[in-house]
Amino acid sequence: MTSQTLFEKSEKGQRAYSLPKSWEELKTYIPDAFLKRDGDIPLPEISELNLTRHFSGLAHKNVGIDNVFYPLGSCTMKLNPRINEVCASLEGFVKTHPLAPEETVQGNLQLIVELIEILCDLTGMTAGSLLPNAGSQGEFTGLQMIAAYHQKNGDLLRDEILIPDTAHGTNPATAAMSGFKTVNFKSNKNGDVDIEELKRLISPKTAGLMLTNPNTVGIFSPQILEISSLLHSAGALLYYDGANLNPLLNVARPGDMGFDVMHINLHKTFSTPHGGGGPGSGPVLCNDKLKDFLPTPYVLKRSGRYTIEWKKTSSIGSIATFHGNFAIYLRAYIYAKLHGNYGLRKIAEVAVLNANYLKSALGKYFTIPFSQHCMHEFVLQADNYIDRDIKALDIAKRMLDYGVYAPTVYFPLIIKECMLIEPTETESKSTLDRFIDIIKQICEEIQTNPTIVKTAPHTKSVTRLDEVRAVKNPILKHVT
Amino acid sequence: MDFISNSDTQINEMLKSIGIKSIEELFSDIPESLKIPKPTIDDGLSESEGLDLMQKLAQKNSFASYDSYLGGGAYEHYVPAIVASICSKSEFLTSYTPYQAEASQGMLQIIFEYQSAICALTGMDVCNASLYDGASACAEACLMAMRLKKEKNVLLISESLNPHYRGLVNQYLKSHSVIIIDIPFNSSLEIDSETLDAHLASGNVIGFLTQSPNFFGTVEKLKPISEKLKQKNALFLLASNPLSYGIFASAQELDVDIAIGDSQPFGLPLAFGGPYVGYLACKSEFVRQMPGRIVGETVDSNGKRGFVLTLQAREQHIRREKATSNICTNQALAALATLVAIMWYGKQGVKELSLTNYQRACYLKENLKSIPGTTLFNPETTFNEFVVKFDKPLEEIQCIFRKNGIEPGISLNRYYPALKNSLLIAVTETKTKQQLDKYIEVAKECCK
Repeated sequence: MTSQTLFEKSEKGQRAYSLPKSWEELKTYIPDAFLKRDGDIPLPEISELNLTRHFSGLAHKNVGIDNVFYPLGSCTMKLNPRINEVCASLEGFVKTHPLAPEETVQGNLQLIVELIEILCDLTGMTAGSLLPNAGSQGEFTGLQMIAAYHQKNGDLLRDEILIPDTAHGTNPATAAMSGFKTVNFKSNKNGDVDIEELKRLISPKTAGLMLTNPNTVGIFSPQILEISSLLHSAGALLYYDGANLNPLLNVARPGDMGFDVMHINLHKTFSTPHGGGGPGSGPVLCNDKLKDFLPTPYVLKRSGRYTIEWKKTSSIGSIATFHGNFAIYLRAYIYAKLHGNYGLRKIAEVAVLNANYLKSALGKYFTIPFSQHCMHEFVLQADNYIDRDIKALDIAKRMLDYGVYAPTVYFPLIIKECMLIEPTETESKSTLDRFIDIIKQICEEIQTNPTIVKTAPHTKSVTRLDEVRAVKNPILKHVT
Repeated sequence: MDFISNSDTQINEMLKSIGIKSIEELFSDIPESLKIPKPTIDDGLSESEGLDLMQKLAQKNSFASYDSYLGGGAYEHYVPAIVASICSKSEFLTSYTPYQAEASQGMLQIIFEYQSAICALTGMDVCNASLYDGASACAEACLMAMRLKKEKNVLLISESLNPHYRGLVNQYLKSHSVIIIDIPFNSSLEIDSETLDAHLASGNVIGFLTQSPNFFGTVEKLKPISEKLKQKNALFLLASNPLSYGIFASAQELDVDIAIGDSQPFGLPLAFGGPYVGYLACKSEFVRQMPGRIVGETVDSNGKRGFVLTLQAREQHIRREKATSNICTNQALAALATLVAIMWYGKQGVKELSLTNYQRACYLKENLKSIPGTTLFNPETTFNEFVVKFDKPLEEIQCIFRKNGIEPGISLNRYYPALKNSLLIAVTETKTKQQLDKYIEVAKECCK
């Protein structure tokens, strides 16, 4: 299969486009020569058939959850129901302009208000905003709200955010972007927060703690109430990274655990498609302490009609150009409505069951660093074969040959040769059994034919790619 | 309903295999006081009931029944049919960020081509894999400029930058010690170059962020401004509608350092504001300070061409608090929509589409300005949009237009009190002569 780019497939004079016909007067409107573009636009010329074949060809070199089992930890790769897509393409939604008069977009505004209510019910929070365009933007929003809260209280010394070493990389990056100093702390031997270490680090400078619970090794912290009480009694707030909310749907709520503000990755828990890297949606939810600081525009129901507040006293202000990724959170709304509270609980239960089933079966082949029951995901330490020069990465690449996607590797950073596995609730036992079998076969191969693992994959459109070369000699676009 | 594959039989087999009696046991780490009662009544919907619910909500939006002249950063363009067809392919729609490159060559090559297409339009050297939207692209460009000019502390920003972009720029810069100075616009809605000169003279300027076509649609005269910035060793950050590059000078021709904007005009429907896609392109010497993902070309172990995520030492999953940005999930599928639309138009089509937009907006603009009772604020070159002031109160004008099935434009009262009774009117290629003539007719009626 060729890897020629569209630019290389260009043929002079080919075209796919058509434009509405012009009329006579229009021809008199010629842009000022002083402002005009001098150079050519170096885009390809290509017919619609060649265009569509190009992208169809590229689709063959990609895999999604529709094609294969995708046990990518912390990413919650569940089925993306097509009803979501059908709903998102309804003309009444698609054609609405973000600055349309309120009375002409009552349906959109109702959806926004109701989705926030649904998410608040599920998380034990009291208010929220759908504006953040992804999880990390939700984190940023939440931390700006925490900053505003302390500022309003005249608590100006609080400039530190505590972050455990198991955290997603976005947590410390967001804290830094929001103007906080990050204070990282080590987890204990159970993969949980080390309470003594936490106590040592909490100070009058602590603005808040960012925590994922269950965390990125898939463990729910049994000490969560103690943690939140420690932070609160020191005058600090708790941020909940909702990337791992899937196992808690209608089981337990971050608000009840003592978290003050959080985000949800709708492209994970609520199944809006991940699209090869977005668009996502990362609504932020909070309790009464923080609700005045929520970003604008803020949608609310007032005497039977829905209205938008573009500016609001105390609000931290803007977080997206307009209303965030509307057509994405719209999909989460229908997903929640289809399930109802009953179905959402079932998601959590089966997600946790599937993960524990895999975990108990895979313990035969790899070290399981944390033995307690996991939530929706778990870590393996794939260092059994280091002496044979087989690393987690090699095993992951070999999985691709067996027709599954690989787990998340080398994250979280606290586990050597880490593999983070999240099967999600939508996978069947037979798929999980097949995955167990694949791991077994790869382990046998490591004994009998390690080279085939070391040099994997062998069945994809390319073999192992040279990432070092890409950094040393960056080619970042088509060059004529 | 739910989308769970396992039946009760399989669930029981799995419980047995784990060695537990019920799923509840798996939640034993959660303190009892936190557990909420399990819902007992199935309150979900069937797929058809769900669709019905959504159709009813969509029907509550009457907006689609109006001829809309709203723009201001979100434009109604024709979306080629091929866009939805390509974007709905399972392999793209349901894949994750391409962490395993060998199984993700399709998406990686798409991002590489998207980067190339944005570079072709802007003329810039490099582009990232996408940012959330136009606002976040502007805000990230400011942070990037601040990293590039650490020794300076003043950022100049045009007041004619889309106020929705400016809002997020303020948000991102809030916790930094940078001084922001507003550069006003003059009576014809162009950059007030005297004020700009005065502030540039201080020598402490990191850069100048402006927009062209600006929020009012004015195509700014940027060449002399660019030269002045270079003399003062200040960076030039230019936000643009990428469609305007079809006929107007490229960012490279204007010696821009960081070109940003929202690619929504290419392939993305209005959808109440999102998903859209922010682009950020720059000169190659600045690439290591870029935020977000970047795809690069390389070879596999057999020497065959392939694509990978690259220069990742800038990113949050590696650098954590020292990363250039916190962005992780971006707008990949929206970037694909943009790519498909740009390629459908291609080399010649992008120019023609751009010219068509320019000319149709000119037609309405020229015909409105001769109506007594209106004043055109920006008589010079504009793209897609222009500002018209009405002598009568705007509410009255809007009411007459709406009765005629027209949403006539964005009221500027909220953004710029000085531009009272003015409408920002956007025209794209989707407007027919008949529609535009009707607008002119209703405008005459309003001004009677």
